[in-house]
Amino acid sequence: MIASIENLKFKMDDHDDKFGNDLVPKSARNHFTEYKNEDEFGAKDFSKDLELKNDHQNRPIWITPDGHIFLESFSPVYKHAQDFLITISEPVCRPEFIHEYKLTSYSLYAAVSVGLQTADIIEYLKRLSKTSIPESVVKFIKDSTLTYGKVKLVLKENRYFVETRHEDVVKIIFSDPVIKNIIIHQDVHGEGNQINFDQFLVKETGRETNANDMFEFYDKMDQDEVAINSKQKVYSFEIKKEEIENLQKRCQEIDYPLLAEYDFKNDPNIPNIDIALRPNATLRPYQEKALRKMFGNGRARSGIIVLPCGAGKTLVGVTTACTVNKRALVLCNSSVSVEQWKQQFRTWSTADDNIICRFTHEAKDKPIGSKILITTYSMITITTKRSYEAEKVMDWLKGQEWGLMLLDEVHTIPAKMFRRVLTIVSAQCKLGLTATLVREDDKITDLNFLIGPKLYEANWMELQNKGFLAKVQCCEVWCPMTPQFYREYLINRSRKKSLLFIMNPNKFRICQYLIKLHESRNDKIIVFSDNVFALIHYAIKLGCPYIYGPTSQNERLQILQNFQHNPKVNCIFVSKVADTSFDLPDANVLIQISSHGGSRRQEAQRLGRILRAKKDSNGEDFNAFFYTLVSNDTMEMYYSAKRQRFLINQGYSYKVINRLGNLENENLFYSKKEEQQDLLQKVLAASETAADEEDMPSNVKSTAGSQIFRSQATLSSLSGGDEGMYAEVRRSQSSKEKNRHPLFKKFLR
Amino acid sequence: MVKVVKGTLVECDSTMKQFLLYLDEKGEVGGKFVLEDLDETHLLIESDFVERLKEKIDDLMDKHTYAPDK
Repeated sequence: MIASIENLKFKMDDHDDKFGNDLVPKSARNHFTEYKNEDEFGAKDFSKDLELKNDHQNRPIWITPDGHIFLESFSPVYKHAQDFLITISEPVCRPEFIHEYKLTSYSLYAAVSVGLQTADIIEYLKRLSKTSIPESVVKFIKDSTLTYGKVKLVLKENRYFVETRHEDVVKIIFSDPVIKNIIIHQDVHGEGNQINFDQFLVKETGRETNANDMFEFYDKMDQDEVAINSKQKVYSFEIKKEEIENLQKRCQEIDYPLLAEYDFKNDPNIPNIDIALRPNATLRPYQEKALRKMFGNGRARSGIIVLPCGAGKTLVGVTTACTVNKRALVLCNSSVSVEQWKQQFRTWSTADDNIICRFTHEAKDKPIGSKILITTYSMITITTKRSYEAEKVMDWLKGQEWGLMLLDEVHTIPAKMFRRVLTIVSAQCKLGLTATLVREDDKITDLNFLIGPKLYEANWMELQNKGFLAKVQCCEVWCPMTPQFYREYLINRSRKKSLLFIMNPNKFRICQYLIKLHESRNDKIIVFSDNVFALIHYAIKLGCPYIYGPTSQNERLQILQNFQHNPKVNCIFVSKVADTSFDLPDANVLIQISSHGGSRRQEAQRLGRILRAKKDSNGEDFNAFFYTLVSNDTMEMYYSAKRQRFLINQGYSYKVINRLGNLENENLFYSKKEEQQDLLQKVLAASETAADEEDMPSNVKSTAGSQIFRSQATLSSLSGGDEGMYAEVRRSQSSKEKNRHPLFKKFLR
Repeated sequence: MVKVVKGTLVECDSTMKQFLLYLDEKGEVGGKFVLEDLDETHLLIESDFVERLKEKIDDLMDKHTYAPDK
């Protein structure tokens, strides 16, 4: 009850107070006002506000007064325009011909922080647009960018400097009573407010004139922004180190948020760790581009890089660590990915076991003193009591100043948890890596302000066409419900319903058919099921190995090894534990039999399991397949459509298959009525909890659950002889227990 | 005494037939309407109910269709 009240309160002041206003600037809440001029079908008519230019054929974009931008992908200047739009706006939808982008205050913030300026943005847009630029857009850009990114906080040789390129900003800062006291005045000429600002001037060169010719201009735009930056004045003044916190706060208040940059080359405070990339590590062009955005001016910017799964996020991370060359902390979301990061560090860089260290429950490394520490979010933020050793490591971790913090799968961590990480670890530079920055949720966009702006976002389709990703055919296979199952579906309550449509015999048969088909082509198949009951039933019936929450680490590795190397194991069944960071490079067929409601993120993450480029890709044909099996006339149809939105926005298209050929002639299970009836009885007899999805096991393995699991293990591990720490997990009151007779409740207690 | 009822032959897939039988059983359209359960895909129903049944089936379809704007 109390929790729900608190929840309500939290929701009410969600908008203003979520971060106590100290981390997110005010104007970040700017929004476009809804456009009123709509016809009876809800279509918006902009023809009165926008004036078409005469040479509109040569220009690639439209801008609407409500901040949407439409880009023709077949325009000759498409490439230039796209790079620019990615910098200043958020991609909404990128199918084949027309791409849609949206201007948001976050995206503009990101643009300013990589060095674009208000006037430039408007000027570029004017040149690209087929029509005149609406007033509201100009105003929005001005409102969102004028005060952003103008002031930078730079750490050089252990001294803090505030840098800016704008004289008026210098004046504002100097006239602010709080900040004035923080600045270290070396020798100030003049009196009172009459300060000669030129003494702070570091570089001065004439501002370049704008090119008049269209194409010359586009070329200029293509150059790195850095080139533009260096041609301008830079004012720089030192500030007192101990007042950094106050300065940051004050700047936030006067709406000039500080951008943090880390001058890692001139930082004697944190020793270099002397690692480098191995010569065999070659960066792909888009990875280089992403890194250029980060290290644009020889310093490291904090921010987020968005690359599709399988496009080599880890390599970007490793390269960053090698470039910064300082003590690095890598945070992942499971201990499996900790192992994978370690592996990647060893393959791509010269770092060896002496400096890479894992800090997890399972690993027996000694993290204290390590140069590259790989751990999980939950390991850092856990609030329950730790073991003595872990406690010591945490103390050490808190005491250190880290050069770089790499945040893997950054979308998965809620802002609250992230803030905890930030309070515990002090890092000079933070880099977030993710594949699916799902955008509508304000909580995720606020990550931009906690970590930094989005530095780069790749276009999935482009990478696929260039062969960096597998060419995936997405299919939605419709499986008709059998009459008996549909009857029960209509009668039963919602939880049982889901079990009924997952266990639909026709779905089973289609799944079996697809597995057979692809096994005969020597494909490697992963089958996903969120529902554990179905997972186990399918896997046992089809004689395939399966992995889910309670499967031990050892067994998991064994199954995965076999899947990769053993030609007899071509198909494995996995629950949602394998959604993220499960690297299965050879898998090229994915069959999804049940899913987590309408989660777009899960759909994209699962697709990511088979996205890694395949060896035999000839560029033309599809070389990977993603099947979603959906039971007709059930809620699954709804979820499935909802889940597909993200990938459709990335340019994928789903092929609907509503009838698979000669299913009847194949020798499949459940082709007889009696067998189907048996299955139905089994499903109906299953307990209520069987219909639930698997709880995600946290890093600490929870042994107390309301479900009964049967798992194989050695005697020693069953009796607790395995490694791992003691954890107490509060048993959640299942509905079953509540319904129990009070007498039994008493005994149990 | 002979009672005359106007009937309509419905041909549908087997799942939709289950849905109609379900409505018949629950009386959600205001009474029983199935006259004869012919086979897997055919039903004979009272003609008066046809419109109401169409509405019900539309509702079902709407429930299973995702509309992005809502």
